Amino acid sequence: MAALFKSEFYKLRKSSIWLLIFVSPLLSFFIGLLESNEVPQYEGVQWVTSLGMMTIGHAILFLPLLTGVFASFVCRYEHAGGGWKQLLTMPVHRGNIYIAKMLLVALLIGLTQLLFVVALLVIGWIKGFPGDIPWDVIGSSIAGGWLACMPLLALQLFVSVAWSSFAAPLAINVIFTIPNILIINSERFGPYYPWAQPFLLMMPDSSESFGALNTSATTLFIVIIGGFVVFFLAGLFYFKRKEI
Amino acid sequence: MSELIIETKNLTKKFGATRVVNHVDMQVKKGEIYGFLGPNGAGKTTTIRMLLGLARPSKGSIHMFGKDIRKEKLAILRKVGSLVEYPSYYGHLTARENLEAVRVLLDVPKSRIDEVLSIVRLTKDAKRPVKGFSLGMKQRLGIATALLGNPELLILDEPTNGLDPSGILEMRELIKSMPKEHGITIVVSSHLLSEIDQMATQVGIITKGRIIFQDSIHKLREQASSSIKLTVNDVEAAWKTLLSNGFTTDLVQNNIYIDNGTDDHVAAIVKSLVEHDFSIYRVEEQKKSLEEIFLELTGKEGGLL
Ligand SMILES: Nc1ncnc2c1ncn2[C@@H]1O[C@H](COP(=O)(O)OP(=O)(O)OP(=O)(O)O)[C@@H](O)[C@H]1O
Ligand SMILES: [Mg+2]
Repeated sequence: MAALFKSEFYKLRKSSIWLLIFVSPLLSFFIGLLESNEVPQYEGVQWVTSLGMMTIGHAILFLPLLTGVFASFVCRYEHAGGGWKQLLTMPVHRGNIYIAKMLLVALLIGLTQLLFVVALLVIGWIKGFPGDIPWDVIGSSIAGGWLACMPLLALQLFVSVAWSSFAAPLAINVIFTIPNILIINSERFGPYYPWAQPFLLMMPDSSESFGALNTSATTLFIVIIGGFVVFFLAGLFYFKRKEI
Repeated sequence: MSELIIETKNLTKKFGATRVVNHVDMQVKKGEIYGFLGPNGAGKTTTIRMLLGLARPSKGSIHMFGKDIRKEKLAILRKVGSLVEYPSYYGHLTARENLEAVRVLLDVPKSRIDEVLSIVRLTKDAKRPVKGFSLGMKQRLGIATALLGNPELLILDEPTNGLDPSGILEMRELIKSMPKEHGITIVVSSHLLSEIDQMATQVGIITKGRIIFQDSIHKLREQASSSIKLTVNDVEAAWKTLLSNGFTTDLVQNNIYIDNGTDDHVAAIVKSLVEHDFSIYRVEEQKKSLEEIFLELTGKEGGLL
């Protein structure tokens, strides 16, 4: 398993796709920098309001898109040059190959989240936010955003493994990401929509109101973990039986 | 009897209702070069995919190195190097990086990469991205990858695909040297009899999913023996004359054919024709084509049933 992960990491590192982890944190950085929360009622909670502002673009748009891009990409180089055929005749378990690829994408999303925190810290430093950084809020937002990408990751990896085209899974992902802006307002559908989940878990409590944010955290967790398990097992089962 | 490296029993693969591989009993002995011969669509690649665990048999069993592939797949794959249909590669990596990505999985020393690169003569191009390689170079990289894990069995599906004549020659020499130098067993598929003829020691012929011949290359050569074709002025008279002189020949489409004739036999026939004042325009050797051998073999099979 360690060898597999090392090999996967090596293949990815030599491409330039991983550089995409910088895109969203950078854009969020500028959004956070330009936004003015110097108003008196935000006094003392600038960390959280900035985090909230930055999260909107990052979690509604970029996290779902990046998850899809990375999931497609770790399959693309196998589809393109007949890599599956070679990889699956190596003395490794098929299930482990699938898991290694999933871990790799999860790692990339995790790195994106960390860079996002770095962006926030730099903004706070530049703007002179109060010294006591609310690590609990930031931590649970970042971790929650990451966790909520997992069902989507499992789903996208399944689609990408099954579909030898690179563009098709991506197109699907974009099509389902666009209505996000509407769906996050829906208390009924939002929690069950994998593309909306990253935002719902990442958004810190704030004055902004999005309908689906009213869903209880417990429900969200159950839905997210349940969704992940279902998509993951379906993808794994499919991959283990797939004929190359 | 020597040890069997591959043994399949009733190996069958169905796609829908058609049996693409049909009750194949393949037997490959240690140290042999097994030529797996068959026309396009015969089921060679499908059989090989099942041997490598890429596809599941619909029926039948596969044992390699005496182990059941359903139970000990990884232990088997550890000892097998393969190249199926087209070479696999990661276009964004160089040749060396491609090998490195695989080496990590096989857990062999880094020095092995240089060894296999030099075996396939890619050392000079090792630092170039593979997407810029020609098909022949990719093919050689594929062979290098197959050799990387010091396999005991090498399964090569049409390895001369896309190679130029000198590349084919090189590949053939390489394949022939493996069993001698390293004791490796090789299965090599092809749709060209001449190619198999030049390197194999054992031959399995498959057509429409069935193995119709499996034996040593010598046995096949006997089957493939040639006939002599005579073109003369008055064919029918010539044929009758030969018959009355005790020579049995075949008369087909205004030509006389001598089957399995020894040199002396042919000479005697020609002499007899000359003595009877026939004009002999041509005396040609007719090698049976692969197709004719197939027809003959399938014909025999049908006759036995
Ligand atoms: N996945 C599949 N689904 C349906 N039919 C298939 C599939 N794979 C192969 N076939 C059919 O099985 C038959 C045998 O194919 P196979 O690739 O094994 O032939 P081959 O002997 O390798 O031929 P070639 O010399 O052209 O490589 C062909 O008729 C092919 O159309
Ligand atoms: Mg083939």
